[in-house]
Amino acid sequence: MRQLFKTFKVAFQAINKNRSRSLLTVLGIIIGVAAVIMTISAGEGANKQVQDQISGLGTNLVMIFTKMEHRGGSHVRMGRPIDKRDFDILQKNAVWISKLSPLVNVGAQAVGPIGYKSTVVYGVNHEYFDILSRELSSGDFFKEDDVKTANKVCVIGETTREELFADEDPIGRQIRIDKIPFTVVGLLKEVGQGAMGQDQDDVILAPYTTIQDRLYGHRRGYDMIMASALNENCVADAKIEASELLRESHKIRPFEKDDFEVMTQVELQEITGNITGILTILLGAIASISLIVGGIGIMNIMLVSVTERTREIGTRLAIGARESDILTQFLIEAVVLSLAGGILGTVLGIIGNQVIYKLTDFFIPTAPYSIMIGFGFAALVGIAFGYFPARKAAKLNPIDALRYE
Amino acid sequence: MVAKKVIETKSLSKVFKNGEIAVQALTNINMVIEEGEFVAIMGASGSGKSTLLNILGCLDKPSEGEYYLDGVYVNKLNKNELAAIRNQKIGFIFQSYNLLSRTTALENVELPLVYNRTGKFLNPEEHAKMALEKVGLGSRIYHKTNELSGGEQQRVAIARALVNDPAIILSDEATGNLDSKASIEVADLFVNLNDQGKTIIMITHEPEIAQFAKRMIYLRDGRILTDEPIKNRSTKESALKELGITA
Repeated sequence: MRQLFKTFKVAFQAINKNRSRSLLTVLGIIIGVAAVIMTISAGEGANKQVQDQISGLGTNLVMIFTKMEHRGGSHVRMGRPIDKRDFDILQKNAVWISKLSPLVNVGAQAVGPIGYKSTVVYGVNHEYFDILSRELSSGDFFKEDDVKTANKVCVIGETTREELFADEDPIGRQIRIDKIPFTVVGLLKEVGQGAMGQDQDDVILAPYTTIQDRLYGHRRGYDMIMASALNENCVADAKIEASELLRESHKIRPFEKDDFEVMTQVELQEITGNITGILTILLGAIASISLIVGGIGIMNIMLVSVTERTREIGTRLAIGARESDILTQFLIEAVVLSLAGGILGTVLGIIGNQVIYKLTDFFIPTAPYSIMIGFGFAALVGIAFGYFPARKAAKLNPIDALRYE
Repeated sequence: MVAKKVIETKSLSKVFKNGEIAVQALTNINMVIEEGEFVAIMGASGSGKSTLLNILGCLDKPSEGEYYLDGVYVNKLNKNELAAIRNQKIGFIFQSYNLLSRTTALENVELPLVYNRTGKFLNPEEHAKMALEKVGLGSRIYHKTNELSGGEQQRVAIARALVNDPAIILSDEATGNLDSKASIEVADLFVNLNDQGKTIIMITHEPEIAQFAKRMIYLRDGRILTDEPIKNRSTKESALKELGITA
């Protein structure tokens, strides 16, 4: 124990003697550890945001859309699109589904009294607001009648309001979407940035019938059907039921695959979780390369140190140090260096996360496991890259080492 | 009472092989050094002094012959046992002091005790202070090595060689880097330590320093040429007088 304490003391003394050199050496590790912590935390932060966003969609959510496949670099729709017939069948027969809304979207230019904006207009029905549990800050949602009669009404988000109306109250006012006048009936409550950084308040919602009649051109069908299961516990049942009904509707024979996809909120969460997870691992791996480079820096400086201190090593061997004593001494020195880098790097990483939060509003909670990975990796690098120089020191011949000039 | 044999060699020889060329560094060295002796080993460079000292100091092994140090048959020891025997039975003093730089005298002297695994020195600091007092550096315990003069540094090194209470002190040209006055003081210190019962072997090529010892072994071409007691031993006073300096 006392021996170990002494060895640590010797290591600290040796590092202290070459303070600026040690600091520069450690810089590689500091940056490496900070990079690992920051990238992993950023990945985790992004993941958490995405997950929160998806959770916000409602746990009952079931989405039905046409299967897309990558063919020759572009998305290609497989089979029949989801259309009104599918929607009607689901509405009539599905017992596990309580609410349904078609979704069609189209890019359009919206013009208000103050300004104009290119945006995406979503065509939905009156149940959409319940399915996604969106709330209003003023006005009202459009009603079933508006959908039936393809009324030219719309509900807008906060960002859209700002662009088109500035400080004015939009309710009851008219905007033009691709030159067609729509009356604003409701203003959505602000929800902020979406999962992938998109602005969820930059939105115009109108009856899908109106969109199809006026803006949709000759496209057939819907982009998606959004549905809400009766309750959280029957989401899986709702999914199976919807699949069976659609297979029937699409006349798919038993041995054929579905030409549509039914996805629940949980599945969406899993998929995006996988994507962000892979992203996190990738970023962390890139960051750890800098740690390895830092480790090489430590090895280099330890080799220099061994050469410089050849006489000292010879003396220690002559007065009774064993090879293992010398090995431990230099190994501990390398580990102390890399751990010091680990500590400073952790601090830098946490500060870096805070700075990014202050500058960009992108909140990065420092993941505790990222600290463990960064720190553990630093220690490992210290041992791995410290071992070779330490062994070189221990294997020195005391007679030659004593005479080394 | 028969004096204890601290060092005994029997037909010791050492051959260095460098590829095809073999160099006979030592040939048939037989010697016995008893407890309390003060031996100077002299010889021209290349005479085998250093090789002999390396073997006596358990830093190197003989090619042939037997070596007993304080009753231990050294030939049979492995690396760790050699490290232990160097730590416990030998005190080294080197020409260029070989102290740890920018480290206090005390810490330097403590160093051998750090590697001592016998548990004999429970309070290394006390032992180190005592050793420093013995060499007359009691007032410079906390000075760093770079704040000491050459003579003082060498005395720190001597204290380091004393601290583990070794069976023998091996000095390799201890005065080689010192001026005449400091050299005489170091030699005088050896005499004092010898008077207190320490066994000392001193390698030197300076006859006036060798003259402080009790016995001289002269090496030539790896063989013992002469081995005889010194008659007119120098003292500090006589040596200083010779230099024209009064003490």
